[in-house]
Amino acid sequence: MNHQVLRSGLVSALVALAIPATGAEMTGKEVFEHYCSACHGAADGPGTMQLARTRGKEQALLVERNNLTTDYIEFVVRHGLRSMPPFVPSDLTDARLQALAAFLAKSR
Amino acid sequence: MAEPLPPGLDNERMAGALDRFRRIVGQEWVFAGERAASYYDPYTIANDPNAHKAHAAVAPASTEQVQELVKVANEHLVPLWTVSRGKNFAYGGAAPVLTGSVVLDLSRMNRIIEVNEQFGYALVEPGVSYFDLYKYIQDRGLKLWLDVPDPGWGSVMGNALDHGVGYTPYGDHFGMQCGMEVVLASGEVVRTGMGAMPGNNTWQLFKYGFGPYVDGMFSQSNFGVVTKMGIWLMREPPGFRPYLITFPREEDIEPVVEMVRSLRLNNVLQNAATIRSLVLDAALFSTKSQYYSGAGPIPDSVARQIMADQEIGMWNFCGALYGPPAITDVLWAATRDAFASIPGVRFYFPEDRKRRPDILIHRSDTMRGIPKLTEFGFLNWNGGGGHVGFSPVSPITGKDAIKQYRMVSGRVREAGFDYMGLMAVGFRELHHVTVIVYDQANPREREKLDQLFRLMVREAAAEGYGEYRTHIHYMDTIANTYSWNNHALLRMHQTIKDALDPNGILSPGKSGIWPKRLREAGKR
Repeated sequence: MNHQVLRSGLVSALVALAIPATGAEMTGKEVFEHYCSACHGAADGPGTMQLARTRGKEQALLVERNNLTTDYIEFVVRHGLRSMPPFVPSDLTDARLQALAAFLAKSR
Repeated sequence: MAEPLPPGLDNERMAGALDRFRRIVGQEWVFAGERAASYYDPYTIANDPNAHKAHAAVAPASTEQVQELVKVANEHLVPLWTVSRGKNFAYGGAAPVLTGSVVLDLSRMNRIIEVNEQFGYALVEPGVSYFDLYKYIQDRGLKLWLDVPDPGWGSVMGNALDHGVGYTPYGDHFGMQCGMEVVLASGEVVRTGMGAMPGNNTWQLFKYGFGPYVDGMFSQSNFGVVTKMGIWLMREPPGFRPYLITFPREEDIEPVVEMVRSLRLNNVLQNAATIRSLVLDAALFSTKSQYYSGAGPIPDSVARQIMADQEIGMWNFCGALYGPPAITDVLWAATRDAFASIPGVRFYFPEDRKRRPDILIHRSDTMRGIPKLTEFGFLNWNGGGGHVGFSPVSPITGKDAIKQYRMVSGRVREAGFDYMGLMAVGFRELHHVTVIVYDQANPREREKLDQLFRLMVREAAAEGYGEYRTHIHYMDTIANTYSWNNHALLRMHQTIKDALDPNGILSPGKSGIWPKRLREAGKR
């Protein structure tokens, strides 16, 4: 790889950046934004729309829910639920999942 | 329930292999028992609970660890099912073809090694998602665009290796691949193309190197584990103008596709545009129950109501123009004129669309390489959650398009599903992708889907249409349709497989390619 780095110099943006580093700590909010928000972050996200369909609009946005437990969140993330597929522990690590679960269950 | 074992292995031997794996990658990166549950196909089709069920998963962090793992797998005869990120959910997710395999999960190998703005390429590892690469480019203000498929969380490498498609002029992802690093079953590392020459400086610039061009051998295959891949990226164009053209009748697909061929071959149509069906587009932002409470597919009267309500057509042609206005104005005039004679046609730019959310506003993002997950809204149409793609390829002719549409939509509706299809325009071919959304929790519906899928494969093959990609459950079925000269191609694949991977440890059954050791035992 070194020859490429030397050749491309300034125009080559960066070498060997891991995104995200799986060992890095993230807050629960950061985990939510990184892994969940594309489906659950906005009113027209597919996850939000499914929850609106199955549980009603008041239960549709995860960050506004007040009935989520950490155990439930951890189970759903690892096993999936209906349309939602599971997230593997190599990517969404146990530490991140715990932070996420604590963040989403915060209002209980 | 105990995790299933692959043919020929007992618990003791598998446990020994997993211990060795732990020593290579670390205790926390081998997932067995309940910890392997995330690797099951979430939208299973088979009614056998053990079908395509992994025994465990192992997640290496480097090429060197992959080398060590395949050496141990050879010693213990453990089949490794390789996934980049395992997000290919319409085709089985992270689950293996062969029950009892250990998933070789490359998610942790997520380094963006280089993004080169001068030449327009990236060199990435398998765990890099479209979201990751997009963010990297945006954070640095690079004037480069991605080409993305609909699932933005997927692997840039994995999608290209599975012949995935996107929607910009760089829509043929494997066509944009340039240079690979591959770990062979022996543990040896190979670099392809110019990467084979020490000190060479065109690994991501020239595909072919010297001698046979072998990169294709590592796509949709089980001949090696790709650990790095170059992908060409589009320069940010000086102008971008997305559009939507709607057509009101089912039979319009015939003249539309005739026009599309002419536009594509003349380079007036610049991108991998799509012609999308009514329900596919309607399902992104609305549900079936909003319009229809009856059983089975929606009737024509409901289809008309949806069209009026959402300002979409029975067919919706989403395309985009790329370049300076002086060029895009001319291309738009030619595009508009080509379709203007079709009765009921309507032309839209984003500023014409007032409804929110809206299909053109959403597709405009996708056609400029912004990764999203919005497309998964179609899973909410009837709430079943399960989905599978049926994806035959045809020439770009009106006759083929309407024939395919009638064959597939007829069977899909006969089985009680709505037709959700799109025709993606390649350089010379149409990918006719139909997603069937089903209730994966209902064994009878899974059985119905399975029968429907196999019937459609048979009928398509009888008319000369082959699938370009498929779910793990149908890899043998599809491979068997590529049977010219007594399955000569499959037999050649098997010969290569046995030479490169004599113990048959890499992804047995991928694309119907079984190693000698499992050629009978592996097939269900």
